[in-house]
Amino acid sequence: MSLIETKGLQKVFRQAVKDPGLAGAVKHLFTQRYRDKYAVEGIDLKIEEGETVAYVGPNGAGKSTTIKMLSGVLVPSGGEIIVDGRVPYKQRMENAQRIGAVFGQRTQLWWDIPVRESLSLLRDIYQVPTDRFKKNLDVFTELLGMDSFLHLSARKLSLGQRMRADLAAALLHDPKIVYLDEPTIGLDVAVKHRIRDFIKEMNRSKGTTMLLTTHDLGDIEDLCERLVIIDQGRIIYDGKLQEVKDEFARERTIHMQLSSPIPDAEELFRGLPEIQVKRSGDSLEASSDTDLSIRFDRFRCTASDIVKRVMSRGEVVDFRIDEPSIEEIIRRVYDGKLDSAALSAAGKGSA
Amino acid sequence: MIAPAFKKYVSLARCSMQNTLAYRLSFILNFLASFIGLIAMYCLWQAIYTGQDQLSGFTWSQMQAYLLVTFFVNSMLSYYSESSITSKIIDGSVMMDLLRPIQFQKARLAETLGSCVLEGLLSCILIGLAAIFTFGISLPHDAGTLLLFAFSIVSSILLKFSIVYLSALLCFWTTSSFGIYWARTSITNLLSGALVPLAFFPGWLQSTAMVLPFQGIVNTPVTIGLGMTAGTDALQLIAIQWVWIVLLWLLGKWMWSRAVRQITIHGG
Ligand SMILES: Nc1ncnc2c1ncn2[C@@H]1O[C@H](COP(=O)(O)OP(=O)(O)O)[C@@H](O)[C@H]1O
Ligand SMILES: [Mg+2]
Repeated sequence: MSLIETKGLQKVFRQAVKDPGLAGAVKHLFTQRYRDKYAVEGIDLKIEEGETVAYVGPNGAGKSTTIKMLSGVLVPSGGEIIVDGRVPYKQRMENAQRIGAVFGQRTQLWWDIPVRESLSLLRDIYQVPTDRFKKNLDVFTELLGMDSFLHLSARKLSLGQRMRADLAAALLHDPKIVYLDEPTIGLDVAVKHRIRDFIKEMNRSKGTTMLLTTHDLGDIEDLCERLVIIDQGRIIYDGKLQEVKDEFARERTIHMQLSSPIPDAEELFRGLPEIQVKRSGDSLEASSDTDLSIRFDRFRCTASDIVKRVMSRGEVVDFRIDEPSIEEIIRRVYDGKLDSAALSAAGKGSA
Repeated sequence: MIAPAFKKYVSLARCSMQNTLAYRLSFILNFLASFIGLIAMYCLWQAIYTGQDQLSGFTWSQMQAYLLVTFFVNSMLSYYSESSITSKIIDGSVMMDLLRPIQFQKARLAETLGSCVLEGLLSCILIGLAAIFTFGISLPHDAGTLLLFAFSIVSSILLKFSIVYLSALLCFWTTSSFGIYWARTSITNLLSGALVPLAFFPGWLQSTAMVLPFQGIVNTPVTIGLGMTAGTDALQLIAIQWVWIVLLWLLGKWMWSRAVRQITIHGG
């Protein structure tokens, strides 16, 4: 049995349908019409203890809804859900005692009392022993750099400070599982790094299982080996980050700077499959261009192949290789450019 | 040593008290505003009493005490406590409460009691000042009445909380809390005896008010404090307060489970 397990998990929201304008509003008072909105449609997910899983997808894909069901805040409309041996919405209090959650858009701190006091309140709510609380608070303060604002009320914090305080608040009681819904949204790079390091450290030192949603690819690459992509309430990929990259980010681009231009460089790569040559700079003076970019499929020819051929004709002053960012891969999924059948086949292979 | 399960609610009450302190300025201004209302009522009743020894069984000095006690009872569980419950529901942050191992109703009661301590203190000070400078006061002198009075005040706060909590839960089915707040306030003010003592009501309205819970908020503590009800009658009024507290608490529990289904199943 996995730590988190869902089978055919569904959530249907009842959305009121109102005709536009005042007349519509009045009409709605008497004849209430609703439309079913499938936010989550049959999610099968297994997460093992100690994993850090990225849960990504476009806005409205159903990420937050899934997390709310996992944390017991929403009742599923169908399917099964077991978290650490419990059904979250049936055993809400027991489940709440064992999980931590950060919803980036909301805070769990009191607005008008010092952060330190909010944290002490959580100590009592979760019945954390005093010495453990003190130890955790010291460690968190250090890791998250909270010293400068523990005495301030949440109202006075910057977004980055608030998020760090919220993260501390969610982990103070040493939860077994932590759900992070867009924990880095709107933060600057320095704070993002701090938060990532903290998440990594908690996962490493306490074995905390983490499920996080994010739009930040740095977060995913830095934190998660496993990636779950959902779109319109369905999982379209579940597997290793590396594998999705191998499968869908096959192409590489070599950018080379040459000591002198090579005219008709295209001829060089005759016989190699799927090569695209691009010269940067002014196309009118293509022959005098010393910058060359070559795109290729890394499974069909190698970088050294290409560099060797170029070097046979001229001197390479400098070069670098680009791989597509995970952002591009996910964007392709969003745009529907990626065959979802192929993707899920790739996912099964790794599961 | 307090049981840990209880300690969480005590902590909540403490935080709520601290939170209320953060609003002290607007809190005090608000208080002064209602104090001015009290003075207006005082002048109004003074004019009515000119040339009258008593009205509906109230002497002028009893009426003054009535005004003060009503002010005290009404200043407990002010708009702040009420709106902190409704705004949780309206803005959806009730979700954050569901994420924690606490019971919503108990947590809200704890918070309300926390801020009531401050509200009570502040209004005691104002009333003390008023009593010294303006009013000819006739509050209970014997210990027995005082004890019953104090107990009926505590019960009154619990009763008011139960009513406020129920009306706040209605916000789950509306998108704004104002209508509910105003309806709740005017019904409570009228039927509790906060505007006019129940004794001044026509017979039918008075008997209607007596079978409703609202009279337990103002009428019960005030008539006990003024010594107009004593002994077993007073005990009976307090017992009625408690019957309502228990009934409304259970009703609140039931309504919360309905409301929670509304958000957790239908999404708000
Ligand atoms: N309380 C709700 N009532 C009605 N529809 C909702 C509610 N919450 C979310 N939805 C709908 O469900 C879908 C998924 O939402 P959500 O889980 O928040 O997406 P994500 O977090 O992936 O951006 C969206 O289309 C959203 O409009
Ligand atoms: Mg979301």
